[in-house]
Parts: sequence; C-alpha cells; structure tokens
Amino acid sequence: MTHTRLWIFIGPLFALTATTTVFAQGADNMPTSERIPSSLMTFFVTSEPIGNGGNLGGLAGADAHCQALAAAAGATEKTWRAYLSTQARPGQPAVNARDRIGTGPWFHSKARLLDYLGRRLNRPIISSQIHGDTLEEAQRGSNLTKEFALTEKGELVNGIGDPLPTRHDILTGSQPDGRAFPPGVDRTCNNWTSNSEGSAQVGHSDRVGNGNISWNSSHATTGCSQDDLVSWGGVGLFYCFAVD
Amino acid sequence: MRTCLLLTVVLAVSGMAPSEAVAQHGMRGGTPMTFFVTSRPIGDGGNLGGLAGADAHCQSLAAAVGAGDRTWHAYLSTQAQPGQPAVNARDRIGAGPWYNFDGVMIASDLAHLHGDTIELARLGNNLTKQSGLTEKGQIVPGLNDYQEAVRDGDWEFVKTTPYSNRHEILTGSQLDGRAFPPGIDYTCDNWTSNRDPEPGQAQGLEGGPGRPNAQIGFPDRNGGGNGSWNSSHGTTGCSQTALVRTHGVGKLYCFAIN
Repeated sequence: MTHTRLWIFIGPLFALTATTTVFAQGADNMPTSERIPSSLMTFFVTSEPIGNGGNLGGLAGADAHCQALAAAAGATEKTWRAYLSTQARPGQPAVNARDRIGTGPWFHSKARLLDYLGRRLNRPIISSQIHGDTLEEAQRGSNLTKEFALTEKGELVNGIGDPLPTRHDILTGSQPDGRAFPPGVDRTCNNWTSNSEGSAQVGHSDRVGNGNISWNSSHATTGCSQDDLVSWGGVGLFYCFAVD
Repeated sequence: MRTCLLLTVVLAVSGMAPSEAVAQHGMRGGTPMTFFVTSRPIGDGGNLGGLAGADAHCQSLAAAVGAGDRTWHAYLSTQAQPGQPAVNARDRIGAGPWYNFDGVMIASDLAHLHGDTIELARLGNNLTKQSGLTEKGQIVPGLNDYQEAVRDGDWEFVKTTPYSNRHEILTGSQLDGRAFPPGIDYTCDNWTSNRDPEPGQAQGLEGGPGRPNAQIGFPDRNGGGNGSWNSSHGTTGCSQTALVRTHGVGKLYCFAIN
C-alpha cells in the first residue's frame, strides 16, 4: 500500500519532466524536496537494453545509449558514461570501468526527494565504497542496493524474488575493483562488439545471486547473444554514471 | 512491485520456504539447517541474559523446529571488563560451512562470512534478504516491507504486525566479527542491559561515553548507507522500545557449531 501511494506521488513528477523541460530549468527556487528527480540524477541503470546481446557498439555505443536514455528522462545537461571495462588488445590498452565515470559521489533519480517516511536521506554512492578500496570499506559495503539501483525513470529493476523475467544481471566486464580483466579469456563480449561468441562479466543490481552480493562482478555469462544473456538472468542492462 | 510486496508478505506470514524465489543459479541445497535468524526476539531489548541467555534462545527456537540435536550459539560479541576478557562473535560459531532453512549456503567458512581478505570482502558472502531466513523458513521483513511512518518504529504496533520492517540484528561486533575495545558500549553492557540514555545524554546511532548502545547488522544488506550484515551502526538505546525505533526488535543470528 505504501508503495502504491509513493508512486502515485512520484508519477506526475516524471510526467512533468518529460513534457516541460522549461519547468525543470526554472526549478531553482523550488523547495529541494519538490525538485524533479532526474535533474539531480547522476547514476542510473538503463531501463532498457540495446537489445543486441553483448554487442553494444563498443564503449561509444554504450555511452550513447546512456546519454539517450538520460536525455529522454530530462537529464540532458550531463555527460554520461557506461560502467564498462574493455580488455587490452594489440595496440589498444585496457580501459577500466572505474576510470571512466568521474569522481562522484553519485545520486540516483530520487535524490533529494523526501522518502515515504518523510525523511531526506539523500545518501549517495562513493567510488571507494562501491569498489571496496580498503578492507574495511569492502567489508562494510556501500549504499548501492536494489532500492538505490533505479532506472533513469526511477523504477526498480526486477531481481530475484520478483516476477520474471529477472533483469538483475548488469553488464560490466569488470573485476570487483572496477578494473578490466587481463587479456586472454573474454569477459567483455569482445570489447562489447559480439552478439554471439564470448562471455560477459556481470554484477547483480539487487545484490543477490551466485553466492555473493557483488554489484559489478558476480559471474560470467556463457555466450553473448541476447538469448544467452536472458538465460543467465539479465537482458543486457548496464550502469550509467554522470562524469560531471 | 505490488506483486513483489504481496509475495514477500505472504512468505513472511505463512512461513513457507521461498524455494522458488531463490532457485536461480542453482543455489538450492538440501543440507540440514545450520544458520538462522531468530523468528522472534527475547523481548527485553538488549538484555538477553548474557551470552548464555542468547544461546539458550537459539537452542530453544531450533529445538521447536526439530533442529535441537545441534549445539546453537548466538552471533554476539562481549566487550572486555575487569577480570573478564572480550569474546568475539566469530570465535563462537564453529568453522562452517553454514546453511539456511532451504539448504542454501550462507558462507563456506569464517573468512568467507567476514570477508577476511579484500577479494573475499568485495564479493561478499551469500547472506541476503532471500537467504537470511528464520528457523521457520521465513524472510525477515526489511526495508520497504510494509513501512508505515511513525508506527513501524513503535513496539506496540510492531509486535502485533509480524510483516513490518525488523531487519536490525544484534551483533555487538565489528566488521571482522570481533568485539569492540572496552570503553564505549556496543553490547548493551554485554547483553544484560535494557537501559536507555538518560535525558540530556547524547542521542544518536553511535556509541558514546556512558550511553547504552548495541551494534547491529542487516540480513537484507540494506540500511545505514552500507550493506553490512554484522556491523552497520548502533541503536538509540537498549530498551525494547529503543531497538524498534530504528527497525529492529532484538533478533539474533544463530549458528550451529557442529
């Protein structure tokens, strides 16, 4: 019941975002709690995949997908990067996902809205915490939870225990520390250009599955086709971060 | 989302094993239960009757579901006091592996459970909202389950509303499963106190000089701005009312040591 009421409250805000960007830009004198969520968003999970398995058109194609989804939600003014690594190739160094996304901290699409208890929690995610840069940070964990990992539309991503299909496998091609795998065994669907052979390392946006709670490096898929991804519990969604 | 909420509520209330919900990735086991979250608290805040009282609570709940042939210990630390050394929760629970009601493995050993190396810690153990089941196979209601402003922090409401948020589990432990140093209270005076801070004493969710406090963690890995299962933050006091204020009821993690 509480959820329903929450969405009745938030729903019209999204409608406003889509239809009146002028309203969004003129929102500076509004109370922060009533600002349009997406204007403050610096992190989201793609609401839809590109849909061609692990072929994202390389990093450039994935970044463009982030940018387009963000723009459609009203967040046009930011530069968006997909959280993806690529592996080293002859004459082409590896790219680490963690080095592509700016410095953060990052807020999801509901940042600075009052929550359903009337509290303004406004907790971001922080690079050193989501990557567990120190043992203590790794043990404690981060605020990247299922409820934080919302799409650019502010929607939850279906995970374990939710109605099927499960969409919690998020493409990253990364190790738990956010860096690329060494060259050799493919973990990036051939640097995000393959929709057939290969393998993609994925994390779980709901922090459940495969015996660990990793958001960015839980397991590898077998195969890179759209059907392969679906068989593992994902559809080819990825994380998008604003670098500015 | 409504369906999800309904499902969670139905599972929590009915006591059914959510086996179908966790069938992904072949996690199902068939191994006898050696880990559970207590389905109900002792009910006197942070006064558990010491470690012995907490262990007896684990044992009696286990016995009530036919698992009394094992020796059960509560996952709790106590702090050093004059003439009494500290006890580390991680040293009380055997060597693992530990399995939940469904036979799903929570952790393979102490290092996996606590993330003793940075590699293990980054991946985490397998304690989640779906796997952190009670001895009856129930999911522990957590963040976003039937939350009602004001009322879900009120013990009079919470004790008659079994599906409201109650995800704070008493541990009194640091992230590595060891006791806090003596001085600041993190264990409700070694699990014998149901006191709250006196008027005028510092309030908040951190321990402080002379302030009754218990360190807690979340089986649903969701709260306090971190995902810690065993050491997320403190409480507003040690009374039953104080525990409920931040969405705990005084539940414990119980592990079979054999």
